[in-house]
Amino acid sequence: MKTETNLTAQNDWPKNDWPKKDRPLGTARREWIRLAGTASAGAIFYLLTGNPKRLYGQSLQGDLGILTAALYLEHEAVTAYQAGAESKLLSPGVLKVAVAFQSDHKYHRDGISGVLKSLGVEPSGPEKKYDFGHLRNETDILRLARDREHGAVQAYATLASNILTKPVLNFGANVLADEVRHLTILNSVLGVPNY
Amino acid sequence: MLREILKDKKGTAKKQISRRQALKAGGISVAAGALASAIPAAAVTRYAGDLAILNVALGLEHQAIAAYDAGAKSKLLSADQLKIAVSFQTDHKRHRDALTSYIKRFGGTPVAPQSSYDFGTITSATDIVKLAQSLEDGAEGAYLANAGKLENREILNAAVPILEDEVRHNTVFKQLLGMDVTERLKY
Repeated sequence: MKTETNLTAQNDWPKNDWPKKDRPLGTARREWIRLAGTASAGAIFYLLTGNPKRLYGQSLQGDLGILTAALYLEHEAVTAYQAGAESKLLSPGVLKVAVAFQSDHKYHRDGISGVLKSLGVEPSGPEKKYDFGHLRNETDILRLARDREHGAVQAYATLASNILTKPVLNFGANVLADEVRHLTILNSVLGVPNY
Repeated sequence: MLREILKDKKGTAKKQISRRQALKAGGISVAAGALASAIPAAAVTRYAGDLAILNVALGLEHQAIAAYDAGAKSKLLSADQLKIAVSFQTDHKRHRDALTSYIKRFGGTPVAPQSSYDFGTITSATDIVKLAQSLEDGAEGAYLANAGKLENREILNAAVPILEDEVRHNTVFKQLLGMDVTERLKY
């Protein structure tokens, strides 16, 4: 598989970071939620002014923030699955699923990038480095993936109702469905209850 | 509508609902629901579309609850399968109550469950799992198709976790049935 980015895997996976539900928000999610405020501010501004033209401007501005944050998450997910695939630690069956899930995240990434470009915004690329900890075995990789998918579900679910333009919302709902599907499967493999 | 789609010519419940069929069914139900509704126009004008969508969703929740009841009463499920069915039915009851609450709050009239549902011939646990998967798949498709049509942000907020549940349920059943869970929907 083609290497998409330089990876660092120097640090141990934080022992207390998974599967605690109340762990601190990751950088991506913090950024996502911070940017979500922009969307909310746009909606509130519209409610106060009732000016559709301003709504249009504010909607784009708000959704741009959300799309930018979403793109960050998708880049991170693509890279995480790349790290897993390149580790040579995955069994063939798991590798097949990882490749499929990475393909979904690439689809999300490309879709979001396309929307940004259509709005005249140059989409950001991936970070130069991601720290996924020390991946020692298949379970470590599955946990890494599960953690990222869990974060993505929370982020998309939190932000969905803040999206102001319908096409973006439709796309976001489908992305959320993909993330939930990924999370459910990874939970199942790791023995985390799905019901 | 969905139960008609579920049944094949032999009256079994083995036919899968395609996403297209589910969406078509949802659209027809929305139109029918809007026409049949006796809600005062002034009270619901602004969110009439939302209320129609919520009532279609509520109809699906009623159907799902009944299907899980049928599964549980069949005595065909293993202990583990029954545990899943009870858990998922609890989710659907929560959805039902939430949807009913929102419909009332926005001046609508919640649809009642049908007096009976025809789930076809159920002769094995696999039949029940297939029926449940078909219903969850249809519900997932309906929520995905309609989420972007909701005008009220509060209602959309309520619909998002329901969508999450439907996708989770559908995925669990697909895994149980050995179906491909790596296939992305077309969007």
